Amino acid sequence: MSEEEKKVVAQEATNNPTAGEVSVNSLAYTTGQEVVKAEKKEKRHMGLKAKRILGNTVVYIVLVIMSIIWLAPFVCIVLQSFRCESTWMTGYIIPHKWGFDNYVRLFKNTKFPRWFLNTTIISIATAALQLIIILCMSYTLSRLRFKGRKALMNAMLVLGLFPGILGMIILYRILADLNLTQQNAIPGLILVYTASSGMGYYVSKGFFDTLPKSLDEAARVDGANRAQVLFKVILPLSKPIVIYTLLTSFMGPWGDFVFARYVSFGTSDGMNVAVGLQNMLGSAGSINANYTTFCAGGVVVAIPITILFMCLQKYYVEGVTGGAVKG
Amino acid sequence: MARVKLTNVKKIYQGNVTAVHDFNLDIADKEFIVFVGPSGCGKSTTLRMVAGLEDISEGTVEIDGEVVNDLQPKDRHISMVFQNYALYPHLTVFENMAFPLRLLRHPKMSQDEIYRRVTEAAEVLGITQYLNRKPKALSGGQRQRVAIGRAMVKDCKVFLMDEPLSNLDAKLRNQMRAEIILLRKKIDTTFIYVTHDQTEAMTLGDRIVIMKDGFIMQVGSPSQVFDKPDNLFVAEFIGAPKMNIVKTNLVKEGSKYYVTPFGSKILVDGEKGDELKKRGYDSQEILLGFRPEHTVLAKKAEGACHATIAVNEMMGSELHLHVVTDDGAPVIIRVPTIQLNDKEREEMVAGKEIYFTFEGKVMHFFNPETEVSLFYDEPVTLEEVNEKVEEIKKDVKELKEKE
Repeated sequence: MSEEEKKVVAQEATNNPTAGEVSVNSLAYTTGQEVVKAEKKEKRHMGLKAKRILGNTVVYIVLVIMSIIWLAPFVCIVLQSFRCESTWMTGYIIPHKWGFDNYVRLFKNTKFPRWFLNTTIISIATAALQLIIILCMSYTLSRLRFKGRKALMNAMLVLGLFPGILGMIILYRILADLNLTQQNAIPGLILVYTASSGMGYYVSKGFFDTLPKSLDEAARVDGANRAQVLFKVILPLSKPIVIYTLLTSFMGPWGDFVFARYVSFGTSDGMNVAVGLQNMLGSAGSINANYTTFCAGGVVVAIPITILFMCLQKYYVEGVTGGAVKG
Repeated sequence: MARVKLTNVKKIYQGNVTAVHDFNLDIADKEFIVFVGPSGCGKSTTLRMVAGLEDISEGTVEIDGEVVNDLQPKDRHISMVFQNYALYPHLTVFENMAFPLRLLRHPKMSQDEIYRRVTEAAEVLGITQYLNRKPKALSGGQRQRVAIGRAMVKDCKVFLMDEPLSNLDAKLRNQMRAEIILLRKKIDTTFIYVTHDQTEAMTLGDRIVIMKDGFIMQVGSPSQVFDKPDNLFVAEFIGAPKMNIVKTNLVKEGSKYYVTPFGSKILVDGEKGDELKKRGYDSQEILLGFRPEHTVLAKKAEGACHATIAVNEMMGSELHLHVVTDDGAPVIIRVPTIQLNDKEREEMVAGKEIYFTFEGKVMHFFNPETEVSLFYDEPVTLEEVNEKVEEIKKDVKELKEKE
């Protein structure tokens, strides 16, 4: 049956509702109906496919534009860091002369290595301390029941809503009294970054809440105390959240500028990379002289974090979503 | 290997919800005791109080003569099997089972000894070939064995099991139940087993504690709770299908007792009749209980009850007939299929009228208001015994003085 014939049969069938009475007609009726149905289905299918392709195209175009906007500054910084002409405003993006001059200058002529070391010490110490505090805090709030538990959690939630900047001046006063500023900025900053870390318990508590309580109970009956339960049973099961906590608490001090500048005020030995690099661009003249070196510094600072993220990205994503799905 | 004694134990949750009321029980050394009851009756809570996983609101728990109320679970020398297995997912089966042994201090257990104990337990449970696997790669039954193995390796005073079989399918549950009976002989310690399944309770327990809403309804051996239930709740809870209960009259005629359910008149004979006579009961309204398996199909005759089949359940070896009597009361009758020929079996369908009867010696009588058995005796308390002893001593003294 050709396409035309089929249509004719279908037309006849729809025009003849009593077709069921005669066997030949009824046969025609069913085939005709099926043909109509199949055609409709195909049309609908085509429509859906086209719609999907169109939708995807739009989405991808938007995403590509967003990515370009997002990546442009980073690409620029990397390009500037390899530029040998050392001026600020050039009017072009791609360097005319390529080289490692800026990196050499960064490590030879500035205190960058010192700042880098400072930042590393602060970040590692903070990450380690925060990890311990946050995990213990989250485990406690997830598993132990004590008076004032709810009140404590609510209080921390409310306190967390205030910007940390509000306490800056008083914190500086306290640190100055403890003689933990300027030359001693490193321990001072570690103290500042670690002090309120217990308040960041939400994500890991959410994760611990999803681990069955009977695991704790089994371990306790088996002879473990609370600390052993945490370290031998819960933490091995919480790899994603441990890594997530470690990463976030490492990144905070790594990129911090405001507190670091306040606390290390006036001495270049106590500065971290962010403050040190910003200092290089302190005056109008120095911007012109140091701009490309500054860009090189920016790239060097990004390298460790980028490597960390590339290695641990899988766990990081699991950690962020871990509150909802059991890990 | 220890005696466990619970004295006036209470559990009151925040907001004054009492989960367990005044729980008193003395569990003998090496006894297998089963807590059974519907969900929410407080059986698991009681077990968890013994384990130390729940605080005890009032009363004391003693293990081996020592009050353990304030001891941590790890210091109570107990082992426990959980309903959801609670295996450590990051450890292999071997490490799971070795976990309690590795935690031992004073004295620390040697690696050889740990290896010996774990492999021994694995052999008993038939899981030797899985020792290197992670729990994820095991089936439900195998996981439950590992959980039991983990509880077995340690020398414990009390072995606690919290519904260990309820996550298994029916066939596996029957198999594991039989294995637990065998295992018990090997482990030879005090067991406390919690279940909601009365079959498990009946087959496993030396004694059964039946609970409801936080109260103990009866404590006794499986045959005691089956044959002599203290109250209506126990009578209905134990036995499947459940006992038929009907409100009727106990009639005393001369020295004989009759019951008159569904317009019939059945003589209470044997022990039950004697017992009623001994206790001097008069004619009164009662709740009469009789089990489906003690009910027999009868020919139309005086004394037989008339009923219509509503539902028939063919169980293979037996037929469960749900019938409705003339006054609308539902009754279940259990007929062994072997007693019926093919024709009779086919006839037993909804709508068919039948006659049934039951014997006096299998009847249970309950007070319709208190729902307590007419044969129930208040347990004698220690004070009462002491009082009696004092009285006798006094009498003896007086006699001596007279002499």
